[in-house]
Order: sequence, then C-alpha cells, then structure tokens
Amino acid sequence: MIRYGATVFAIIMAVVLQSSVLPVYFAAPFKPDLLLVIMVFLALRISLLAGAPLSWTLGLVKDVFSGIYLGLNALSFLFIFLVIKNISDRLYTGSVPLFVIAVSVATLSCASIDMLFLVMFTESPGIAYSVGVGLVPHLLVNAFVASIIPLIPGFGRLLEAP
Amino acid sequence: MNFLKKNTPFILAAVGFFAALIFYSLNIPHKTSANVIERWVITVFAPIMKPFSQLSFFGENVWDNYIGLVHVRQENRQLREDIKALNDRVIAAEEVNQAYRRLARLLEVKNAIKAPTLTATVIGEDESPWNGTLVIDCGSSSGIAEGMAVVAADGIVGQVVKVSRTSSRVLLLTDHSSGIAATIQRSRARGVVKGKGDGLCQLEFTTREEDVKVGDVLVSSGIGGVFLKGSPIGEVTMVKRGEYGIFQTVTIRPFVNVSRLEDVLVVLRNNND
Repeated sequence: MIRYGATVFAIIMAVVLQSSVLPVYFAAPFKPDLLLVIMVFLALRISLLAGAPLSWTLGLVKDVFSGIYLGLNALSFLFIFLVIKNISDRLYTGSVPLFVIAVSVATLSCASIDMLFLVMFTESPGIAYSVGVGLVPHLLVNAFVASIIPLIPGFGRLLEAP
Repeated sequence: MNFLKKNTPFILAAVGFFAALIFYSLNIPHKTSANVIERWVITVFAPIMKPFSQLSFFGENVWDNYIGLVHVRQENRQLREDIKALNDRVIAAEEVNQAYRRLARLLEVKNAIKAPTLTATVIGEDESPWNGTLVIDCGSSSGIAEGMAVVAADGIVGQVVKVSRTSSRVLLLTDHSSGIAATIQRSRARGVVKGKGDGLCQLEFTTREEDVKVGDVLVSSGIGGVFLKGSPIGEVTMVKRGEYGIFQTVTIRPFVNVSRLEDVLVVLRNNND
C-alpha cells in the first residue's frame, strides 16, 4: 500500500514540477520529462502485468498536460515500456549507467514515435523541425535527471529484481 | 622679631606666592620651549608613562572590542533578520507593483474588448518542449468553454481547447496545430497564421502577389468568429518569395511573449454566439 502511495505521490510531484515549477526556471527545451523517467524506472522494476497499464496511464497523464492529442504519449509510453520490459530480464537492472542509457533511448524513441504519429494522423506542419531542434537538449536534460535519480537513497535496493 | 614670628606662615605664603608669580612671569616668554625642570620631569616620567599608557590602551581595547561587544552578536542577528524582513517587503512591494502594471494593461485591453471577458492566471505550461499549451486557473465553473479566444495585453495568446471544472488548457498561437485567420493591417492581405515552433508563427496561404513587407503588423481578420476582428497578432519578421510556387513564406513574431505570460483574458464569447 505504501508503495502504491509513493508511486502516486511521485507521479503527482513529477507533473506539478514539470508543468508549473520547472518552466519558471528553465527554457522550454531544457524541461526534463519526469514521467518518462518514472516510466523507465518502472519498466526496469515492476512486472509486465502491473507495469503495462501503469505506463499507459503515465502517458495519458502526460497527454492531459501536453499537446492536444489525448492518447499519443500513452501509446508511445506503452510501446517503450514493452520494449524495455522485453529485454530487461537479460540485463543487470541495478546498473546506474544502464538506467541513464535506457532513459536516453526512451527519450529518443518517445520523440520519434510522437513525431511519426503526429505526421501520420494529424495536421501538424513543421513538427519535425520543432522536435529536431528541441530533441538534443531534451535528451541531455533527461539523461542528467536519470543520472541524479540513483543518488536517491535506496535506488539500488528498489531496482533489484523482485 | 615678634612680628616675624607671629606672621611667619603668612610671610612664607606671600613669599612663596611671589616666587611662583616671578617664576611664572619669567617663563612666559619661553612658552614654546621646555626649561630644565620641564625636561627633567618629562625625562623621568616618560619611561613610567609608556607602559601605563600601553596598559590603558590595552584596557580600552579590551573594553571596546570584547566587553563592549557582548550583545553585538545578538544585535547582528537581529539586524540580519531586520534586513531579511525589509528585503522581503521590498520584493513583495515590487511584485505588487509589477502585478499592478500588468493588470492595469490588461484592464485597458478588457475595456477595449466589446465582449464579456474573464481574467485568468497561468498555472502551468506544456510538459513537452515541442508543444505549445498553457494551463489557466479558470474552467467551466467560471463560464469558459472550448473555442473561446484568449488574449493578453499585447495581443492574441491562443484559444481554449480543453476545459475542466476549475482549469482549462489554452492552445497557443505558436503551436503547430493552431491556426488563426489574419490580415496584414497595412495592405489588408489575408492568410492563416500557423504555429511554427521556436515561439514563431508563419503566415500561410498568402499568394506571391500580395503586398507583405518586413515590419507589417498582423491582426485577426475575424473570420471564423473565434477572435475579434482587429486583435493584434504579431509582426512580420521575414518574407521569402521563391522563384516558383503560388504562395510566399512569411514568418511572424507574435506580440505576446508566451514564455512570460502570467495573466490572460478569456473572451467569453463562443463562435456559436
């Protein structure tokens, strides 16, 4: 019960930080995607059955506060979760560099999937340019955040396979 | 003899006084130089005075810098707290001042708009760097509905896209999905302002023959019914006419700096009204 509470609290704090606090201090391309980082963390930690709907929900929460197409990030989050989950059993998930790499790859994948689906299904001219311009700083900031998170006490313990 | 005996003290006093007077009068011309007595006394006392003087200075030093400073730390702490409190008050006053200026400008716009409006505060920004939306603190309970125009003191901000009971999301004019029918104020050339990213917009569907120049001001044309006719949108920063093609490429810099928005006006008029 405490774990569920902590997860919900972390998600709420991530949304508030990302939406209302960080934009005041950081320029747009340097906003980290905290929900994506949480999703990658969960993908390396929890089971497929619990994690898949949770990652979809995380994406949905992001959609509520980002863009105007509900379900776009939910789809990309679920896809990334499934891919990471598929290979995480063969990896040492407690590794900090792996977590940073996983977040970086997830950021690239999320941006690519979002861009692909926006181009295919919506009228968003120039979105590729905007994503391209903002991707590198966004990727670096996400990787930076991913490298900080392991400093939280208990990270290694939490990442151990259940 | 008897007289002398009887008045000895008086005579001695008078002689002494007289001698002192003579001594004084003799020394008057030598007021700037020391005589033998003076030199001798000074010479004798100087070595004695020196350590006592140093001791006195030491005592004064101890008194001024230690004993006298017993409450200085406490006083210093109090003064620091006072400075902090005063700084807080200065910052708060500056904040109030800024808010006053901002709201005064917004009020001017509010009075100029011939439709009911609602002032809302921006409480959040888009989570993605490549999308352009804002969250405002008013929702359906305040009368806001999807499609309503949102403006700031400098011009158009965007339009309301998703409404909950207590908050709404605003699609900024710089978002790729946004489109506003616009007119060049000078030449009355028409087009559609679409978001371009990077805080810029683009005027689309403006044919090559239309008269568009850098520095031209764009206003909403009123077509579509969302934005009131004549609301300022932005300024033309670049015009590019290729050798071929029907349309010209026009880049617009919006008047509203969307990254620094704090208060906005929602025009409570739907395009169905």
